[in-house]
Amino acid sequence: MIRLLNAEIRKLWTIWSTYVLFGIVVLIDVAFGLGLAFAPGGRRGGSAGIVPHGSSQWFTNVFSVLDNSRLLALVLGALIITGEYRHKTVTPTFLAEPRRGRVVTAKLGIGFGGGALLGALTMLTGLVLGLVLVALKVHSCRGLGGVSQGMSQAMCTAQHGVYYVANSHDMWHDWSRIAPGVVLGTGLFAIYGVGLGALLKNQIVAIVAGLIFTLVVEAIVGAIWPRIGEYLPGQAATALEDAARTTFGGGNVRLLPWWGGAIMLLVYGVALAFVGTLTTLRSDVT
Amino acid sequence: MPTIQARGLTKRFGAEVLAVDHLDFDAVPGGVTGFLGPNGAGKTTTLRMLLGLVTPTSGSVLIDGHHYRDLPNPTLRVGAVLEASGFHPARTARNHLRLIATVAGIPFSRVDECLDLVGLSEAGKRAVGGFSMGMRQRLELARALLGKPDILVLDEPANGLDPQGIAWLRDFLRWYAADGTEKGNDGRIVIVSSHLLSEAQLTVDDVVVLAAGRLAAQGKLKDLLAGTKRTVRVRTPDADRLVEALRRANLPAAMKDGYVICEGGTPEALGPIMVENRIEVHEMVSSTESLESLFFALTSGEGMHPGYAAGLMGDYREVVDGPSPGPAPSPAPPPSPGPAPSPGPAPSPPDGGPMGRPR
Repeated sequence: MIRLLNAEIRKLWTIWSTYVLFGIVVLIDVAFGLGLAFAPGGRRGGSAGIVPHGSSQWFTNVFSVLDNSRLLALVLGALIITGEYRHKTVTPTFLAEPRRGRVVTAKLGIGFGGGALLGALTMLTGLVLGLVLVALKVHSCRGLGGVSQGMSQAMCTAQHGVYYVANSHDMWHDWSRIAPGVVLGTGLFAIYGVGLGALLKNQIVAIVAGLIFTLVVEAIVGAIWPRIGEYLPGQAATALEDAARTTFGGGNVRLLPWWGGAIMLLVYGVALAFVGTLTTLRSDVT
Repeated sequence: MPTIQARGLTKRFGAEVLAVDHLDFDAVPGGVTGFLGPNGAGKTTTLRMLLGLVTPTSGSVLIDGHHYRDLPNPTLRVGAVLEASGFHPARTARNHLRLIATVAGIPFSRVDECLDLVGLSEAGKRAVGGFSMGMRQRLELARALLGKPDILVLDEPANGLDPQGIAWLRDFLRWYAADGTEKGNDGRIVIVSSHLLSEAQLTVDDVVVLAAGRLAAQGKLKDLLAGTKRTVRVRTPDADRLVEALRRANLPAAMKDGYVICEGGTPEALGPIMVENRIEVHEMVSSTESLESLFFALTSGEGMHPGYAAGLMGDYREVVDGPSPGPAPSPAPPPSPGPAPSPGPAPSPPDGGPMGRPR
């Protein structure tokens, strides 16, 4: 199994598409992070997800958006297994290890590692971004008339607003609360992706199905039946983030305890992979 | 001694397609076994069942009595060159091989050795996406050889190779199969599927002929060809007299395209008759039926040589059970499971260049 894991790691770092995927993650992180740091407005509590500017949780905005990289972890997981079918490398893979369940198990393991690495890269990008924002002394003012960036302290206090300057204390506080959830979430989401890939085999189908289910189906189900929604993969991943529970919207979103979310994600990934191994992957390789 | 045994091997794709139908065959070490048959005969499916990639509907094909899936580290036992086996286009050839080496626990120095062997040392650092078909085929061969397997399976290996490459491969496969036999070892099993009969004729020692998923013939190639008709063609101004003289000697002959064609005759039989009758000869050519025409007869089901399959099975079983000096093909004794005590069938000399076409 060690050899299989080593080979799976090697498979990832010997093709450039892995690096491209990781590069895309960094770019998206920077774009989203900056977008939320400087977005005009920022809603006043209430609806989940956005923390008002000009508060000490300003950094939560910047960092919590980074959990979107779990969608790319899903893609990574799906690629790990469907790429073999797409390029027909599954033939040499199964020739070298004909016990297919072992191959899938190794891929689940590498999926978790790769996804967690992607999450770590995301949080590292966030950290750099946060340090830059702190160094630039980015500030915002939540006054009576809304939020504005870059207003001077004098003007802000003259308007009786709350003046906020990005500082490293808040930054570290928010970052350290969000990072573990994001890293664990991306790792487990990649396992979910591997499971989808094992079941569906076709690369495009697996990726599109995973994204549509997470972004569209889950949103609809969650809105109509929140009790079911909290058990779906996307919400289960959100539950991993302590910040999501304590900060956003209070009771608006039903979430499992963090360990419950982790177990649900693991169950999804392993169950899909198990069914896939017994059905799709058992089929003839021609 | 490595063995491959298929018994009742059957594969059905859906309800309609019966790709392989109750196939029995054995492959023995020391020589190259050719899987011959027209497209769709079931060659590739059979080889993929051997390699555990395709699950038989019924029956089995076993390597030393085991399914491929139960071999502990199959890379070290069986090497396979398959059509439609894949490469990630962005991965370099060397990294492609290193993946397999990693799984099988083979040192990376062996990867470079194998790349060198197939002439891809330089190209090894390049992404496979830019490789020609022939280079991919060589890379497949390098992958198959990584574990120094004693069983080598190649599906249409000549595809995409240039003439030098084909000649090299032919010599290599013959050497690989017979390697060690001069020291009394068993040699290795090499199975090659092909629809290129002229190429197969130069490479293989044993043949398994498939037609529509069934076994059409199995045996030593030279025995198969020995049973074919010989034909003598004579150009002579005294054609009518020759035909008449041959008829009297019980050698039926006919005129065709200005030649006298005597099927079943030999130059040794015709020569004295022509001298005796003082027939002037301008040209005399003796030929045996080619593998091609034999093959068509075997696979078309038209029964030009209905006795071949049965008769050659008999021959073959004898060889499997240990060489028998009996000159005439006799009915097959039942195959005994025990290993042959004698040092295996005598192979052709390991270094004896490409065989000429049997004449």
